[in-house]
Amino acid sequence: MAMIEVHDLHKYFGDLRVLKGISTKVESSEVVCVIGPSGSGKSTYLRCLNLLEEPTTGQIYIDGEVITDPSVNINKIREEVGMVFQRFNLFPHMTALKNITLAPIRVRGLSESEANDRGMSLLRKVGLEEKADVLPGALSGGQQQRVAIARALAMQPKIMLFDEPTSALDPEMVGEVLNVMKDLAKEGMTMVVVTHEMGFAREVADRVLFMDEGIIMEQGTPEELFSNPQNERTRSFLSKVL
Amino acid sequence: MDVLQSYIGHIINVMPSLLQGAVITIEVTSLSVFFGTIIGIFMALGKLSTKKILRIPSLIYIDFIRGTPLLVQILLFYYGIPGLISSVTGEPLRIDPILAGVVVCSINSGAYVAEIVRAGIQSIEKGQKEAARSLGMTHSQTMKDIILPQAFRRVIPPMGNEFIVLLKDSSLLAVIGVPELLKSGQLYVATTFASFPVYIGVALVYLVMTLTISRLVHYSERRLGVGND
Ligand SMILES: Nc1ncnc2c1ncn2[C@@H]1O[C@H](COP(=O)(O)OP(=O)(O)O)[C@@H](O)[C@H]1O
Ligand SMILES: [Mg+2]
Repeated sequence: MAMIEVHDLHKYFGDLRVLKGISTKVESSEVVCVIGPSGSGKSTYLRCLNLLEEPTTGQIYIDGEVITDPSVNINKIREEVGMVFQRFNLFPHMTALKNITLAPIRVRGLSESEANDRGMSLLRKVGLEEKADVLPGALSGGQQQRVAIARALAMQPKIMLFDEPTSALDPEMVGEVLNVMKDLAKEGMTMVVVTHEMGFAREVADRVLFMDEGIIMEQGTPEELFSNPQNERTRSFLSKVL
Repeated sequence: MDVLQSYIGHIINVMPSLLQGAVITIEVTSLSVFFGTIIGIFMALGKLSTKKILRIPSLIYIDFIRGTPLLVQILLFYYGIPGLISSVTGEPLRIDPILAGVVVCSINSGAYVAEIVRAGIQSIEKGQKEAARSLGMTHSQTMKDIILPQAFRRVIPPMGNEFIVLLKDSSLLAVIGVPELLKSGQLYVATTFASFPVYIGVALVYLVMTLTISRLVHYSERRLGVGND
């Protein structure tokens, strides 16, 4: 079975129909980028994958386990699915290191020193070793997002979800975050990335999904989707963003 | 001139008992805000709970207390409830006025603190909870480690305000004979009829206390860096 399998996912907010039947598979170590106009349901789709939003109907399997069953332990699922948010959402009252070590200690039961070792090696990986004791408020946007990625990785998840991780950043900081994500992709992490960075999608993605009006309008390799889009809506979207 | 001198004389004479009363006022207020804070945190969590069995009692408690005057609550608790109990048991029941005062003021304060804490919790951006939950943390871990510590700093100013409000309102306990600041003044007026200087003195002692507290709150706000998260 694939790492992520989604069968006929529907999501309503009240009467508003946001997802209208999404089915897709993401294989282990695959990098999938999701593109599409704002309001098309990209975030909602991503947030269903770790149940930050509750799907209205449909099934989602993560690493072979159905997560859309009411009896499932949501917290156990989320331990395996890391998420990185557009606005970082670091804990402002904790140092960078503490942001990273909190969940491994509380959830995985690591000792403080084990967690600190893991935290420091992750900070090194994202190039922020010297910022361990700094509060998020004293970090730039790009640095905060790199800490947020390290925080998610500290749980050693099987999957990483990114919801427009560079959209809130000043242009000069986008590169440093994308580089961390590229490294992660090279290491074989399974990733689903909602992004407007078409360059990143073209270079790193194994597959690109174009979402519009709550469905996947078109999907393919970056080469197929960017150079030879079949769908009229894909063409018109790409003509605006490329 | 004579009038002024006699006023000053009265103020000097009454001041020791006013200060004794002020100590009672501060004690009753501090205890009440302390217990009120404990009650208030649980009531706030109850009101925010998705479970009806926790939410509905909190809602009733908060609405009842905030929707009725403190003076009525004091009279109900000090006269009404003991009266009801003794009419059932046939035994006369008297409660210590200070104890009654602390209990009523704690219950009263709890409802206001509940609203302060609820607002503090709800003021924390949704992304904080989502980040914690996405890491696999449980609801209670998220509350304890992420939401409440951040809400705590935001509730310091309104909690300081609540302390000041209760400090002033505790003067209502004079009606059940709690020997607090206002009551001390009233006792002196009863024998001397010097109402103007005594009540001016009472007012000034309240003013000194409230101004001091708001300074302290302001200072601790800055120490804890409230507002610069
Ligand atoms: N919690 C919510 N409640 C109500 N409507 C929502 C909620 N979240 C998203 N929506 C609506 O769902 C639609 C899709 O939103 P979203 O998934 O954020 O789109 P995208 O990420 O593609 O911009 C939008 O119309 C948005 O207003
Ligand atoms: Mg979005």
